[in-house]
Amino acid sequence: MKQNKGKFVVCFLIIVILLVLLFPFFVTLSTAFKPLKEVYASPPHWIPYRLWWRNFSDVWTKYPLAQYFINSFIIASGATLLNMVLCIPAAYAVARLKFVGRKFLLFSFLVVQMFSPIIVVISLFKIFARLGMVDTLSSLVIVNTVFTLAFSIWMLNGYFSTIPMEIEEAALIDGCTRLKAIIHVTLPIAMPGVVTTLIYTFIWAWNEFMFALTLINTAAKKPLTLGLYDLVGRWEVQWQYLTAASLFAVTPVIVLFILIEKQLVRGLAGGAIKG
Amino acid sequence: MDKNLASRPKVKVAFWITESTLAYLLLLPAIAVLIAFMLYPIVYVFLTSLYKTNRIGNLVKFIETDNFKTLFSRREFWEVTIRSVIWTVLAVSAKTLVGLTIALLLNVDFKGRKLARTLVILPWASSVPISAMLWQWTYNYDFGLLNYTLKITGLWKHPPHWLGYPLSAFFANLYVDIWIGIPFMALVFLAGLQSVPPNLYEAAEADGASLWQKFYHITLPLLKPVLLIATLLSCLWTFNDFNVIYILTKGGPVNSTDILITFIYKYAFSFLKFGPAAAMAVVAFAILLILSLLYAWFYFKSERY
Repeated sequence: MKQNKGKFVVCFLIIVILLVLLFPFFVTLSTAFKPLKEVYASPPHWIPYRLWWRNFSDVWTKYPLAQYFINSFIIASGATLLNMVLCIPAAYAVARLKFVGRKFLLFSFLVVQMFSPIIVVISLFKIFARLGMVDTLSSLVIVNTVFTLAFSIWMLNGYFSTIPMEIEEAALIDGCTRLKAIIHVTLPIAMPGVVTTLIYTFIWAWNEFMFALTLINTAAKKPLTLGLYDLVGRWEVQWQYLTAASLFAVTPVIVLFILIEKQLVRGLAGGAIKG
Repeated sequence: MDKNLASRPKVKVAFWITESTLAYLLLLPAIAVLIAFMLYPIVYVFLTSLYKTNRIGNLVKFIETDNFKTLFSRREFWEVTIRSVIWTVLAVSAKTLVGLTIALLLNVDFKGRKLARTLVILPWASSVPISAMLWQWTYNYDFGLLNYTLKITGLWKHPPHWLGYPLSAFFANLYVDIWIGIPFMALVFLAGLQSVPPNLYEAAEADGASLWQKFYHITLPLLKPVLLIATLLSCLWTFNDFNVIYILTKGGPVNSTDILITFIYKYAFSFLKFGPAAAMAVVAFAILLILSLLYAWFYFKSERY
């Protein structure tokens, strides 16, 4: 009886907390289904008089939302690909091979991943200007790769180190070359780690805003975050479109994020929660 | 037999050499990219901070530490720096307290716990810039649903014009930053709680320990390493929060919500004063370096490399 009462209190508190935490999402859903007249009604109301589905098709025709999506996709996939090419060999080296400076490197990666992009944005802007790369998608591919690289190496290093060396050695004894052993034996086992790192980079690049704001001027090259921000800057914001577009933009990354959330937390907190 | 023994060290040495060469080769591309686009820019910021710059950021004249001297003599610099500290301390404490509470609640076995856990993640899983835009609408004075809800539920009869005044705008920004940071704290503490061996609680219960005693004498000490690393990480993220402030208020009204990170950006790309901006970036770099060194050190200690 006492236990049931306790559980009831816990459930009640969780519901209150969820109502508070999800508040802006409720606002988003409510607004996305309203016509403009209801969005700017005073006093406002929560439930739309009638579900106004048209917003979800109008955003695609009235704004270059498809272009923003394509740009974000190009930037995020490009960064993910480049990141993989750079981080898989590097993570393998720190996890598997003995060399002078290994510990120092691991430590440096951990420190570097915490640096704020703001500190280097002034220099990076100059560098990209000199390279003639301001206002290009490739500049964003590069910065997104750079700012996810250290953490990716870290995460993958963790996965590689859990795979017993003996498995790889067995393949070497069977006459595999080292490269073949890595590709056919180690990488497939480390696949969950590779996927986690991949998703992490993709999400990071998809959500990046500050570099896009600094480096991109042309409307046709803007990624989603910046494209949507432009809508907010207007005199009378069409919030019903912005909220509808947000739902399109955010849902895929939320799903991806929930897939990797456990590994991400473990990677960030390290041995402190491994128990 | 003898032959075997004699040849052994030779092979080992050769293997070691090829192994480290291979390691450096594999690391080379990643490190080259990090040097070119991370280390070099940091060095360049240090350099810029010692120069007079023109409006497009070219270095014009070496002026030693003049940028720092003018910066340190400016009142607004100190205001912004102090605000960054208050911002970080308030936000991190709130995130830790609320996160811990949620973790303790989610650690109780009840129906729908998995769903609740997933829903709690959403503020972190969502895109920060887009969330900030949605919050701007939520905070709207005339048409926003936040003030409307506060009024009709009687929680706050006369809610403020959130983004319109310095103090309320600061707390509005702070709240969004906390809101984004809570899920990580809750998840990391939950993971920590789940690694506490249950027989410890059973033993305490047998001794007649109260709920609070169990929390204070068992849970809290065991959570200490998690607490330390999570709060350090949170400090770094909170101090670095650019998106929320820039998108919600751009540091306004009249710089009242600027923290160091947004102020650097404003100085560089709105005022085009690259020298002083670089000097501030050097200050921010020093603060971040100390925090991230601490974080990395505790992380290493917990992992035993």
